[in-house]
Amino acid sequence: MLHYFDPGKSSFDPNRDLGTPASPSETLVSVSIDGTAISVPEGTSVMRAAALAGITIPKLCASDNLEAFGSCRLCAVQIEGRRGYPASCTTPVAEGMQVTTQNGKLAKLRRNIMELYISDHPLDCLTCPANGNCELQDMAGAVGLREVRYGFSGENHLDAETDDSNPYFSFDPSKCIVCSRCVRACAEVQGTFALTIDGRGFDSKVSPGQNQSFMDSECVSCGACVQACPTSTLMEKSVIEAGQPEHSVITTCAYCGVGCSFKAEMKGDQLVRMVPYKGGDANHGHSCIKGRFAFGYTTHQDRIKEPMIRDSIDQPWRVVSWDEAIGFAARRLKETQAKYGRESIGGITSSRCTNEETFLVQKLIRAAFGNNNTDTCARVCHSPTGYGLKTTLGESAGTQTFDSVMKADTVLVIGANPTDAHPVFGSQIRRRLRQGATLIVADPRRIDLLKTPHADRTMHLALTPGTNVALVNSLAHVVVTEGLEDKAFIEARCEPAAYNAWRAFIAEQRNSPEAMEAVTGVPAEQVRKAARAYATAGNGAIYYGLGVTEHSQGSTMVMGIANLAMATGNIGREGVGVNPLRGQNNVQGSCDMGSFPHELPGYQHVADDTVRGHFEQVWGVKLDNEPGLRIPNMFDAAIAGSFKALYVQGEDIAQSDPNIQHVEAALRSLDCLIVQDIFLNETAKYAHVLLPGSTFLEKNGTFTNAERRINRVRKVVPPLAGKEDWEVTVALSNALGYPMNYTHPSEIMDEIALLTPTFTGVSYEKLERLGSIQWPCNDQFPDGTPTMHTLDFPIGRGHFAITEYVATNERTNRRFPLLLTTGRVLTQYNVGAQTRRTDNSLWHEEDILEIHPSDAEVRGVQEGDWLGISSRAGHTVLRAKISDRMLPGVVFTTFHHPSSGANVVTTDNSDWATNCPEYKVTAVQVEKVSQPSEWQRNFQTFDKRQQAYLEQSQDESASALK
Amino acid sequence: MSDQQLQNLIKMINQISANNLHHGDETATAEIVATHLKKFWARSMKAQIIDYAEHGGAELSPISKLAVERLKA
Repeated sequence: MLHYFDPGKSSFDPNRDLGTPASPSETLVSVSIDGTAISVPEGTSVMRAAALAGITIPKLCASDNLEAFGSCRLCAVQIEGRRGYPASCTTPVAEGMQVTTQNGKLAKLRRNIMELYISDHPLDCLTCPANGNCELQDMAGAVGLREVRYGFSGENHLDAETDDSNPYFSFDPSKCIVCSRCVRACAEVQGTFALTIDGRGFDSKVSPGQNQSFMDSECVSCGACVQACPTSTLMEKSVIEAGQPEHSVITTCAYCGVGCSFKAEMKGDQLVRMVPYKGGDANHGHSCIKGRFAFGYTTHQDRIKEPMIRDSIDQPWRVVSWDEAIGFAARRLKETQAKYGRESIGGITSSRCTNEETFLVQKLIRAAFGNNNTDTCARVCHSPTGYGLKTTLGESAGTQTFDSVMKADTVLVIGANPTDAHPVFGSQIRRRLRQGATLIVADPRRIDLLKTPHADRTMHLALTPGTNVALVNSLAHVVVTEGLEDKAFIEARCEPAAYNAWRAFIAEQRNSPEAMEAVTGVPAEQVRKAARAYATAGNGAIYYGLGVTEHSQGSTMVMGIANLAMATGNIGREGVGVNPLRGQNNVQGSCDMGSFPHELPGYQHVADDTVRGHFEQVWGVKLDNEPGLRIPNMFDAAIAGSFKALYVQGEDIAQSDPNIQHVEAALRSLDCLIVQDIFLNETAKYAHVLLPGSTFLEKNGTFTNAERRINRVRKVVPPLAGKEDWEVTVALSNALGYPMNYTHPSEIMDEIALLTPTFTGVSYEKLERLGSIQWPCNDQFPDGTPTMHTLDFPIGRGHFAITEYVATNERTNRRFPLLLTTGRVLTQYNVGAQTRRTDNSLWHEEDILEIHPSDAEVRGVQEGDWLGISSRAGHTVLRAKISDRMLPGVVFTTFHHPSSGANVVTTDNSDWATNCPEYKVTAVQVEKVSQPSEWQRNFQTFDKRQQAYLEQSQDESASALK
Repeated sequence: MSDQQLQNLIKMINQISANNLHHGDETATAEIVATHLKKFWARSMKAQIIDYAEHGGAELSPISKLAVERLKA
């Protein structure tokens, strides 16, 4: 007899659709299907049991990522002792059940059903875009449909009009069989509820919103409906254009820190579509608009295709060979060091590149540059997470898997906007909220997660920006003073002296919600209610984002969060934990790989002689034992004249970093700026060497997502300019006289495993075998570690840190009465270099300033007005959007478009411990204006000139070829 | 060294001091601040702040001054 204890796990071919979801039950039930005996978990459908036994039952409305629906009736079976023909998708197995899936009666029944379907379906199979991949066609074949006795002249839907409003997929209702898979995918998988079946009986039709077009409805274009559609009713336009793909490669998305697995479906070397991979443990077959659809940038005409150099940024580029460009860069770096000293150069690793590439860049800096001037974009996002979690829990990473949220009873989201910034995980939270979990959101904005349909228990702590620590302290105060602590956990797992000191501090009256109400603006009773809901729920899970870290007390807040979790015992099992939601695809990885100036890979301090000795032995070179410069320190040193050359891989500091005018001044001060990127980004406009980067489709490697999951990135097309990014670093290192001899990224991973205690057991072979691995992966945890800190902390006992609230220096006054906070939208990604070059811009073509109606009214501002935004750092102009999801006194914008200059306004205030910029709090004034700011006008001029330099070089390159 | 660079270092060290001051135990805080600088500041930054302190360090908070003393040790 076949036994299945754990369906839904990777032992099954994820490319197969088993019809209905797995049952979590541990009780097994034995049944016989067409004479094959099988035992499956209680609650499994007959359809799934049959599929597990290798028996395929025809189906149309069923899919194993959706709850059984039972509408198409094609999956009817006969069950001994039961009447009629029950649908196998909605019928659960019962002990001793004997099922027949094929016989004459069933065949006739199924043929009749198909005949009815086809009587109202166009017969243009040969020219239909789903041809070759149509479930309706397959079922017609499977049931042996040979005639349609009803004819086609009766009333039908064949003339229904196609909705082409969405740039990525079309909706052709003439081909719809009303199976409701799209509607259910929108509800169950995505959680948006944008689709419904309008009308009854024959009039039933799929309707986005209230009979709107897809673009006008609340659809978020995640594509779950397109993926669910068994016909060509909902179809990717790329498939309509190119035809069905012929092979596919499993790889990892290069957008946010969720790290979704995808099948890149190819036609030769053309990417036809991205389909989220069901076997991916981060996303289980779901995706968002960015990952599924926004890949057009990879073949965009703006891609840099050849290396280029120039002596000064006021000159056109010269297109040169790789050898010449690398030689030029190496010579410039050496000359700079000869003139200004060993510490006068440095580099920035990329959180968008692979682990292997990031590892190599920091190795290049430490071993070939001979200093520790390496940093990464995590400096400006999650560096406080590294500091705060390492101090308290002993490891700089989130504690859970994403799936853990399905066991959480209270979900506390602080300073994060998952439905926009981590959409696939946002959908998973929503799924849990629909099951009844309580949601607490601490955020100045009323984020969309609070509007989750069918989530009944939500609380919003709308705090004033900059007062996070005051809020988390008052939450902890309630826990301690109302006796909600988990004393057993604290006693068994935490350092007693630090705990006692913290307890005495947090219990002080000044930390009470009543005392802090004046600071945070959150009513004390709400804080008490929230603290109780988190502490007493059973499982309380915290998810946080850049709204926690990007503050002057970012690190303190991270420690405050860890304190709260430890005090309530919400650490070390599924359903709980402390979870930083990472912004970029490989922020976790870039931190793990030793990008920070004070830490070698694996968060090992450079001053540790034993650790350094190990690296020195393997790398064959003496390493500096002092930390290097962090990004903001590099800028200051550049302006001061002591820092003269910088190698930047895949990072746009001239758009993403705060106080842009300061960054621009720093970049202009450099003698040699080497930028490696796929486009002429803002930073590259200040560069002397421009090296073409490769996209995630063009290289092999690994990304590590926010759950510490190491996922493979696989090359599906050759690199546009001939080199994968790691090969460029290798070439530069060799030119500098420090030999690197890797032939494949797997060799780099072997070196990482050798030098990083949490990666000891990681190899490409194991990744192939397991699919993905969550570090730590070593002798103690050979298959990785889904949940951390289950028995103890890497530092032994958990450390309660005292988290005194210290107000930021950035305060409102009469001149700057509003607080600006910045963030992202769903359709754009960070600096927008990728998403702006796709149709995603149809949703967000410019950055706008969201302002509360009362603040708008006082200033006479109408929707769409040009608004000047001034801070102590600078001035820019954006269009107004009046929005009541803001708190009065708080304005919001995004930084996806360079000409918006959102970061002209942000200041260089930063987190006390890590220098992570305080993006989330800038005191500003907003007033109506009639023209762009001076910075914006200068930007336009500079941009135009640099674009012209690029075009000139390409014209010359083209004529040289002739 | 530029004025701006020095001003930023002064701002940073005073901010570290302010964020670690709990119940006014200046000696303990200075130790924490000094350890922090040793662990996270680049050689040149430490040299600059020491130099500034030796020339009076007027804008350093009392704890920052104590911390720089310890940094020299």
